[in-house]
Amino acid sequence: MARVVLDDLMKSYGNFHAVNHVSLTVEDGEFVALVGPSGCGKTTTLNLVAGLLPITSGDITIGDQVVNDLDPKDRDIAMVFQNYALYPQKSVYKNLAFPLQMRKLPRDEIDRKVKEAARVLDMTHLLERKPRELSGGQQQRVALGRALVRDPAVFLMDEPLSNLDAKLRVQMRSELKRFHHDLQATIIYVTHDQLEAVTMADKMAVMNGGNLQQYDSPAQVFAHPANMFVASFIGSPAMSLIPLEASTVDGNIVLTGAEGWSLPLSSFNSRKIQNAKTRKVVLGARHSTIKLHKTAVSDAVPAKAYTVEPTGDVTFVQAFLSGAIVNISVPPNVDVAPDEQIWLEFDQERMHLFDGETEMAIKAD
Amino acid sequence: MAETSTARARPRKRVDRWRWAGRIFLGLMLLYTAVPMVWMLLTSIKSGFAAMQLPPQWWPAEPTLASYQKLLDPQNSVGADFLHFFWNSLIVSTLTTILGVIVAVPAAYAFSRFRFPGRNFLFFAVLLRNMFPAVIFLVPLFILMRWLGLVNSHGSLVVTYLTFGLPLSIWLLKGFYDNIPIQLEQAARIDGATRFQAFLKIVMPLSVPGIIATAIYSFIGAWNEYIYAYTFLNRNDQLTLPVGIQRFFSENTTDFPGLMAASFMMSVPVVVLFLVLQKYFVRALTEGAVKH
Ligand SMILES: Nc1ncnc2c1ncn2[C@@H]1O[C@H](COP(=O)(O)OP(=O)(O)OP(=O)(O)O)[C@@H](O)[C@H]1O
Ligand SMILES: [Mg+2]
Repeated sequence: MARVVLDDLMKSYGNFHAVNHVSLTVEDGEFVALVGPSGCGKTTTLNLVAGLLPITSGDITIGDQVVNDLDPKDRDIAMVFQNYALYPQKSVYKNLAFPLQMRKLPRDEIDRKVKEAARVLDMTHLLERKPRELSGGQQQRVALGRALVRDPAVFLMDEPLSNLDAKLRVQMRSELKRFHHDLQATIIYVTHDQLEAVTMADKMAVMNGGNLQQYDSPAQVFAHPANMFVASFIGSPAMSLIPLEASTVDGNIVLTGAEGWSLPLSSFNSRKIQNAKTRKVVLGARHSTIKLHKTAVSDAVPAKAYTVEPTGDVTFVQAFLSGAIVNISVPPNVDVAPDEQIWLEFDQERMHLFDGETEMAIKAD
Repeated sequence: MAETSTARARPRKRVDRWRWAGRIFLGLMLLYTAVPMVWMLLTSIKSGFAAMQLPPQWWPAEPTLASYQKLLDPQNSVGADFLHFFWNSLIVSTLTTILGVIVAVPAAYAFSRFRFPGRNFLFFAVLLRNMFPAVIFLVPLFILMRWLGLVNSHGSLVVTYLTFGLPLSIWLLKGFYDNIPIQLEQAARIDGATRFQAFLKIVMPLSVPGIIATAIYSFIGAWNEYIYAYTFLNRNDQLTLPVGIQRFFSENTTDFPGLMAASFMMSVPVVVLFLVLQKYFVRALTEGAVKH
């Protein structure tokens, strides 16, 4: 096992930067989830670490070795490909055995490891099949198995569970977590699924447009998104972002909505605003931190309900506020109708304030 | 599927009609290609007199394998020549095929996988050869062969057939390599293979249908070629089958059964090649490799 350091990593295609000045350190034994929208450079980053693409500039270190010019086979990595990349002419058994054969392991050891991996992934009965005779989910498990049979310094996994059905995905998620725990493996794991990232990863790297947006523990990323992109990307339903105007009324700092209402701020939040470079402030609030009132109360702002979506456990209410759509969750027994006048109270402790121009989170000091 | 509704039965009838039209068309095509061959076969087992009769004897009254016996008998002078030509053709065609595959495989792979300066130009240049009829190059190539001292040697034919066969072989194989997902090689390289091993162990086996198709194509091209063999070779002991058959059967004799028997024997290797290798054409080998 080893740590992985990306230092100012760049991958450009002409003027387009698929990976743009990315620096991050994956500590030995850490499970890092790489998340971001489609096309943000996740696969490219993995391919750079694997040595499948030449880097434009920067350094990649695995263990104590700068691996920039090393062949993939000499980097001591295993990878699960986004599109599986199974060897179609080989049986499942031979697919799993191939990396071990290439590393010249004795035959009986290969056999033992292949059968062990097949057992963990519940595909002992599939060992003699060819990839084309497998379902999508089974193919994906073979792809995973081909990485897990080995004992590399680093595992790179590109959406390894994306094609499994919900039940199998949950099961594989715990298997992977267990696997990581038992082997103390260093894993870089690309996923679209935030739940996967949050439940499995020690750290989360959020990318957008080739840039690393934030790199921190899932809890930190969730609680303190570094900018509006991370705030809106992480969490489901997405955090509501409401553009407001900061001003001082009677010596107190308030945020004013497009409809003319004013929201007084706590002293902590006021201090943040004093540090801001701009008057344009974006208020971020997750659905669970907003209280819905059916009558006017102090410190609550007026809004109009737009849609009401009962899901059983909670009911999601969407409302228009200052030109933005706000998501609020309420207990299922709260009865709200579309177009009804409601009042929203924001939890001052758990609200986020962003600079409306730079889109970065406003710091308290 | 159970036939439950009349609404569905109607379009199926139309499909059936098309299917029959297709069958009739295929039947006609089969007739068109098979009749000359059947005629060739039938003539080859007639006696010399029967073959000349008018009106023609459709079915040989007294079938005989005499022509074949003569051709396959090394003691007989006709048989000795025929076997010699056969051997020459086999040597030239096999060499052309093997060398062709050895050159076309890496060339096609490079065109498919690597981006290098002049790649498109080179690829175009390779295909350019195929845009001119082969005879255009007859005289220049003859001069070139004389200059190289290759006239009257099988080498001249092998080199010529290679330059004619390679463009299409490379193009055909490139198509095969384009269809093999690059992630397979990448996976192999991560699994511990060198670039070359990844090619040899993973990509090569998957391109076997392509290699076989190109091999058959070069073999048939070389096996049937006439003009260049006629021009480049003068010594009787060197002739290949097409020229040999033409010279020794159609010019000097009217031994039609002998000519037809020789022609039939000439088509045997190609047919055998097809029959042996056809199972490789059946399906794309990359099925199941990647998610679609
Ligand atoms: N060879 C290439 N030439 C030019 N641009 C490329 C090339 N390969 C990838 N890109 C671009 O780089 C960007 C990042 O691609 P990448 O495959 O890393 O995205 P991703 O984050 O893995 O997306 P997804 O979640 O859809 O898999 C994309 O915008 C893609 O179009
Ligand atoms: Mg990707």
